[in-house]
Amino acid sequence: MDKSIFAAMPALTPTLGFASMIGLGLFSLALSYGVKTLLVRNTHDFIIADRRVGFGFGVGSVIAVWTWAMAVMMSSAMTFNWGLSGLFWFVVPNGFAVMAMIPFARILRKNMPEGYTISEFIEYRFNRSKVATAIVTVTMIFGIILEILINLKGTSVVVSTVFGIDWKVATVVGIVCVLTYSYFGGLWTSVMTGTLNTLMITVPAAIVVAAVYAKIPGGTQAVFDAAGAADARNLSVLRPDAAAGFGITLAFGLLAATVSDQTFWQKVWAVKSRDVGRTFLWAGALFYPIPICLGMLGLVGIAYGLTPADIGGDIVAIGPYIVSHIGLGLTLVLLYVLVILAACYSTIDGASAALSSIVAVDIVKRYFPQTSESSLFVITKLSVLFGGIIATLIVLSGLDFTTLVLTTYALKTSILLPLVLSILWPKTNMVGFVGGIAAAIVIGMPIYETAGELIGTLSILAISGLTVLVAGLVGGTDFDLSGLKRITDEISAPAE
Amino acid sequence: MYALITIVGIVVTVFFLAGFGRGLKNAIAEYRSGTPEPTTVPDYRYGGIAALSVIASAVIIAGAGFSPAMIYAGPLLALVTAAGCGLAFFVEDKATG
Repeated sequence: MDKSIFAAMPALTPTLGFASMIGLGLFSLALSYGVKTLLVRNTHDFIIADRRVGFGFGVGSVIAVWTWAMAVMMSSAMTFNWGLSGLFWFVVPNGFAVMAMIPFARILRKNMPEGYTISEFIEYRFNRSKVATAIVTVTMIFGIILEILINLKGTSVVVSTVFGIDWKVATVVGIVCVLTYSYFGGLWTSVMTGTLNTLMITVPAAIVVAAVYAKIPGGTQAVFDAAGAADARNLSVLRPDAAAGFGITLAFGLLAATVSDQTFWQKVWAVKSRDVGRTFLWAGALFYPIPICLGMLGLVGIAYGLTPADIGGDIVAIGPYIVSHIGLGLTLVLLYVLVILAACYSTIDGASAALSSIVAVDIVKRYFPQTSESSLFVITKLSVLFGGIIATLIVLSGLDFTTLVLTTYALKTSILLPLVLSILWPKTNMVGFVGGIAAAIVIGMPIYETAGELIGTLSILAISGLTVLVAGLVGGTDFDLSGLKRITDEISAPAE
Repeated sequence: MYALITIVGIVVTVFFLAGFGRGLKNAIAEYRSGTPEPTTVPDYRYGGIAALSVIASAVIIAGAGFSPAMIYAGPLLALVTAAGCGLAFFVEDKATG
């Protein structure tokens, strides 16, 4: 297949790029203002939506926050790099990671109905241990900043590539758009704009991918034949090198990304209690088609024999490159940009809403309990801006993210099994919890850096889990999780 | 297939937005009524459906390696995702306040 079919599109001007970014931002702002007027009167509404998020908004918003801008592009990139095995290992653990939240979500919502954050759970679970609570709080904040940072960076790269906008300007415009509307309505805004963004991700993605195949002479058959001719392994999901290369590590990383993420825990306590289980089930199952659909762009790259050098050096750009260079109409290219912007905005606003709950409950109320409701509401709203500003400064500084990525990875993976066991196993104690995380970081991370991702990740999990088990068996006392039902609402809605 | 997916996409969008409108009305009505939300977490069997969806996703991806027609399964199922989200609004209980 002749790759001279790919050519740049002159109609993709910077003005169109700004219009796309700001247009989506203004639309979300209008919705957000309505949400604020109708549904948000105090901190409780802002950070937990009065625990009244229904099934529809729950499903839509969980899908939206889990569909990162990078994930939209990575599904194509992994297919381009590893064939269908890359897509298999990228997709299968992704939806499973969302559904893996169900047992933990049900247990905590049942036993701690008035909760807000996972750090708050740890506080009561380990007798108000400052160390355990601080570790979890810091991990959640790091994770949120990283979520914002990665999505912002990914989107600025796409927008600058497609429209020729300076990436720094794209970064600033993008974050201003998201933070402006996130500021008003908190979690309610996040779930509603996120749900609409799920529509803006799915339907345009389906149409654009179908349009790409319609544009290719010979369509799916030609791509199928050429991809198989290039290397028969491209059409197999059984490549062991894909599993060892990134698949198994990614699977554990994704589990840590949901279970150790306040963005998801906030929804556990915000969705109506009767809908918690099925919300995560539907969201996980319905998430699957998104990366499967977009992953099919990777096969096109293989079929045409594109190389990383053809697309600017980074395989993550394979999807945007194909869509913007294969000769689709302008509307279709803009639809694809909308997919990425929607994924970016919804993940950032979800992360910002999660950060506001951490600031309100785990910082202000914990360390300054006398703070008045009016002051708390102002601080909580301002905190929405905090993560975005920090992430923007890091992106603009041009700093290497490696340290932040590694630190967050280490914390999230180290915390995974101790957190899971603290929910499921009554004998888990504070010594095991803190010791497991500390040992995993101190011993496991050097192994990770020397022996590679797979052995390193398995070592971190084994060390943290075994430490908790040994400490729990030696310690011997059982914690009664149902006792958490007595915990009162930290930020109950003030009386009318 | 492109035309079919576009048409189905438009239909699904209308369905989704109808569901969104219903969900929005529900949320506002419940907020205004101020009726306390029950805190019960019902027992819920999810293992079978979860396992099925994991296996189905794997089979669909593997299928694209056996038949070129399966490449279109991704776009078609993405429309199912949008339709599923819309359906979730109609499945949820209507506000009682």
